Amino acid sequence: MRLNLLTTTTIAMLLASSAYAQETIKIGVLTPLSGTYAGIGQQVRWGIDQSVEEINAAGGIAGRQIELIYEDSEANPAVAVTKAEKLFTVDNVDFLTGTVNSGATLAVGQVADRADKLIATTVSFSDAITGSGCSPNVFRVNARAGQQSVALAAWLKQEKPGAKVYYLGPDYEMGRSTVAAFKERAESVGATSTGEVFAPLDSKDYSQYFGQLRAARPDVLYTSVAGNDTVRLFTQMNDFGVSEGLTILGASGTVTAQNINAIGAAAEGFITGVGYSVLIDSPENKAFTEAFRERNGADPDLYGADSYGLLFAYKAAVEAAGATDTDSVRAALEGLSWETPQGTKTIRAGDHQAMQPMYVVEVKNGQFTIARSIAGEDAIGPDTCDKF
Amino acid sequence: MHDRLDISMRANHVFFGILVIVALVFAAFACFSGDVFYLRLATEALILGGLALSIDILLGFTGLLSLGQALYFGIGAYVSALVLREEPSFWLAMGAAGVSVLLAGIAGGLIANRVRGVYFALITFGMAQVVAKVVYNSRELGASDGLIGIPVIEIPLGLITLSADDPLGFFLLTLVIIALLYSMSAYLLGTPFGRIIIALKANEKRVPYLGYSTWAARMAAYVLAAVIAGLAGALYPMLRGFVSPELLFFATSGDALIMVIVGGAGTLAGAIWGAVILTMLKSVIGSWTEHHLIVIGLIFMSAILFMPKGIVGMLKPFVERNLLRNSARQPKPEPERTAL
Amino acid sequence: MPDLISYLQFVLAPQMLNGLALGVSVILVALGLTIIFGLLDVINMSHGEFYAVGAFGALALSALGFNYWVLIALVPILMIPIGVLTERFLIRRVYDGGDRHVSTLLLTFGLGMIAEDLLKIVFGPNTHRPENPLPGATEVLGVFIPTYRLFLIAIGAVVIVAVALVVYRTRLGAMVRAAAFDRNMAASLGVRVGWVYSGAFAFGVALAGLAGVLLAPIYSVFPTMGHDFILMAFTVVIVGGMGSIWGVVIAGVLLTQVQAISSLVISPVWADPIVFGVMVLVLMFRPQGIFGRIGHA
Repeated sequence: MRLNLLTTTTIAMLLASSAYAQETIKIGVLTPLSGTYAGIGQQVRWGIDQSVEEINAAGGIAGRQIELIYEDSEANPAVAVTKAEKLFTVDNVDFLTGTVNSGATLAVGQVADRADKLIATTVSFSDAITGSGCSPNVFRVNARAGQQSVALAAWLKQEKPGAKVYYLGPDYEMGRSTVAAFKERAESVGATSTGEVFAPLDSKDYSQYFGQLRAARPDVLYTSVAGNDTVRLFTQMNDFGVSEGLTILGASGTVTAQNINAIGAAAEGFITGVGYSVLIDSPENKAFTEAFRERNGADPDLYGADSYGLLFAYKAAVEAAGATDTDSVRAALEGLSWETPQGTKTIRAGDHQAMQPMYVVEVKNGQFTIARSIAGEDAIGPDTCDKF
Repeated sequence: MHDRLDISMRANHVFFGILVIVALVFAAFACFSGDVFYLRLATEALILGGLALSIDILLGFTGLLSLGQALYFGIGAYVSALVLREEPSFWLAMGAAGVSVLLAGIAGGLIANRVRGVYFALITFGMAQVVAKVVYNSRELGASDGLIGIPVIEIPLGLITLSADDPLGFFLLTLVIIALLYSMSAYLLGTPFGRIIIALKANEKRVPYLGYSTWAARMAAYVLAAVIAGLAGALYPMLRGFVSPELLFFATSGDALIMVIVGGAGTLAGAIWGAVILTMLKSVIGSWTEHHLIVIGLIFMSAILFMPKGIVGMLKPFVERNLLRNSARQPKPEPERTAL
Repeated sequence: MPDLISYLQFVLAPQMLNGLALGVSVILVALGLTIIFGLLDVINMSHGEFYAVGAFGALALSALGFNYWVLIALVPILMIPIGVLTERFLIRRVYDGGDRHVSTLLLTFGLGMIAEDLLKIVFGPNTHRPENPLPGATEVLGVFIPTYRLFLIAIGAVVIVAVALVVYRTRLGAMVRAAAFDRNMAASLGVRVGWVYSGAFAFGVALAGLAGVLLAPIYSVFPTMGHDFILMAFTVVIVGGMGSIWGVVIAGVLLTQVQAISSLVISPVWADPIVFGVMVLVLMFRPQGIFGRIGHA
């Protein structure tokens, strides 16, 4: 009898373990869960979690379930690099994503090069990541700064030809280069620049710049501030009456679901070029947004949407390649097209940058309404990556 | 001399020795299991330990709380990175970093050493913030993205050549360098001039009455600390292949300060132990929860409230007692002279 | 000539007036800090987090339906017990023994870390902002300034005068100054030193909370907001003289004007380093600040 029991339990255990015999695909998510960018990290996590839930429920990737391993990058490249190494060598993840600030993406990309693994970013929009700093192991599925400003410049050309533009940005690399990129494009469509000022990051009080702003008498203000800085700038401009008669344009990260409530009425009329809006009228987006709202009690923004779309691309690549090793997946990702809530995205083989339709979005009544859209090929800009 | 300070320093050596043994055992294990990550993490812990050591020299021995020591760590790291990008030579990078930090330390010391106590803390804090901001905004230094693309270097050490990419080799090299920095500090603090520095902590006002210059002693201590922080920082880009402005931010200084307190201020060895313990803790806590700030904050506060001498500080008396017993057993070479 | 006048009226004057509004904000935060240092010899590195708690408190309570004007009084009152508890159970333990400055600095640094993360857990990482109760702008001598900022300058002045009166003219203030000057002597004269210390700390913390409530509508509310003011507040306290109320006021106005004008005339990026430079110069040549300390001549 005892032998029988032993045999039965052994067989039961073998059966049970065979259910787990199919190895999971491990994906590392290295994103800021604390610190200034925690709000963005939260959207990234919501987006990725939702996509994994859907993919796993539908059978996973080639029959294998996805296992997510989260690490907090604290928006500090030094921390990100250490944790990336841990994810690659100790946890043995097959793929890594989630980095938010460009410095972290570039540094983690270097770790990925040395570990021969692939990473993708869904947030960083510095042009360098798929431009001068490109790498064969780094992919980007979100729109970069260049794409955003093409969309916005097209709107400017049509709606306000020959406008006088004043620029205000945060004084760091991202802030300055975003302003510089848009300025170049705006001037090429006929706008005149009447001045620029760069405020230190985390400035409390923007009222000190309003004097110069008023003196320049612009029609349009372009700004690349983000997060709390946007809240302060916009509400203070409103308080001081500076925004009257001024059309305000900005980068895609300037007004998002994270800060639009805090800005309130002062965000009315804000226009930006961005890769996503909750109001995109497609069945994918409606399904995505409804599920997102139900799971998280908040609207998705571009970070949530781009993060959601990423793993579907990875799934398609792995299934097309029939393997998870770096070279096969890289080859499969290059040139891949897949469906996302924003429409069809295609990863350009030359620089690993995703091409997608871009939208000019205007904030009306606290909603991100779509003013016009621009085809992916027109928005993407030239391939400046020469490293592979 | 077998006085109290001498015994105390010897006790520190005991703890440092234990650390070295633990490190070697760990390295042996890691080598057999082919590990890469933990060796690099341990190397990083040792590098930060160098920064913590520099804070301890100031806090534990000179009685000065520096809240901006990451400034010199960062300068060392950036100079090293810039040199390595042009000329991948280990000795050149270390030398350049050492010289620039020496100069920066003299400049910083001239500014900061006119004041004491909390004013000193705030000036050092401010200095680090200002320079960090300048670096953050400088295109030539990579601005907010920092500098990547530091090549993997070959390190010629006379008989053998190490690759910076070799986890075990670089770990051992870092261990040797930190041991050298520790020994240098311990030696200097044991000299008569070092005793003056220690006297500053005990009672700074009295020192001039004994005929010594406080200013010279403080400058010496400050520059020594700066150089140690800078040399440790120079190793960072060799390990990680990049530098970023965050290395100069208060977060780095603050972390190193926590290491010193938890390990034990005034013990030199405690700083390095603290670095190892905190790095281990952070790695473990980070995997469980994203609320690591609360956990680290609680540990830090508990250390200050309940264990102000730190871990090594708490264990030292036992070692000191043993050492005293041993030295009492040996016959004294000369009769004790009582000083007035 | 008309160009210069126009410059003065439309650029420099508004800049200075705004600098004044900012100055009042900084003074409110720094007042609490200088009282805590001047009276207790405690370096409160978590002062910024108490400021944040005040702002978040206002947010939470207004969601419960409290009127904004009520909150200006309510939030500081609610912060008093928090301050008392912090002093009694944490600060007091590191009081005696070694270097009080260093140990309180370190202890409150740890406290600040924890507080920031707690705020993030409770309120989420995103930004919030209570509505401005006084929208619109008024004209002052040809310069347009938002009404709320005028209110801020006014109420800031009232609070500062009230605090100065309490500290320098009341019996309570005298007891507090006596306890700061010589603890044992004051105790032997019947001053309940324990309560005085807790009360002083709580008072400083309540002032920080008040600053949080008052500034929330214009500077918005988020978990890391404690870092906004802390360096500037410490600079003002040092330049004005640790423990001196008038020192804080004069230094606060002076330094924010320096910041505003150098931001305009030189460049915004250099404004902070210049303010820091002023602090270094003051420390090098007059380390006790402009006005020295309470309780000390």
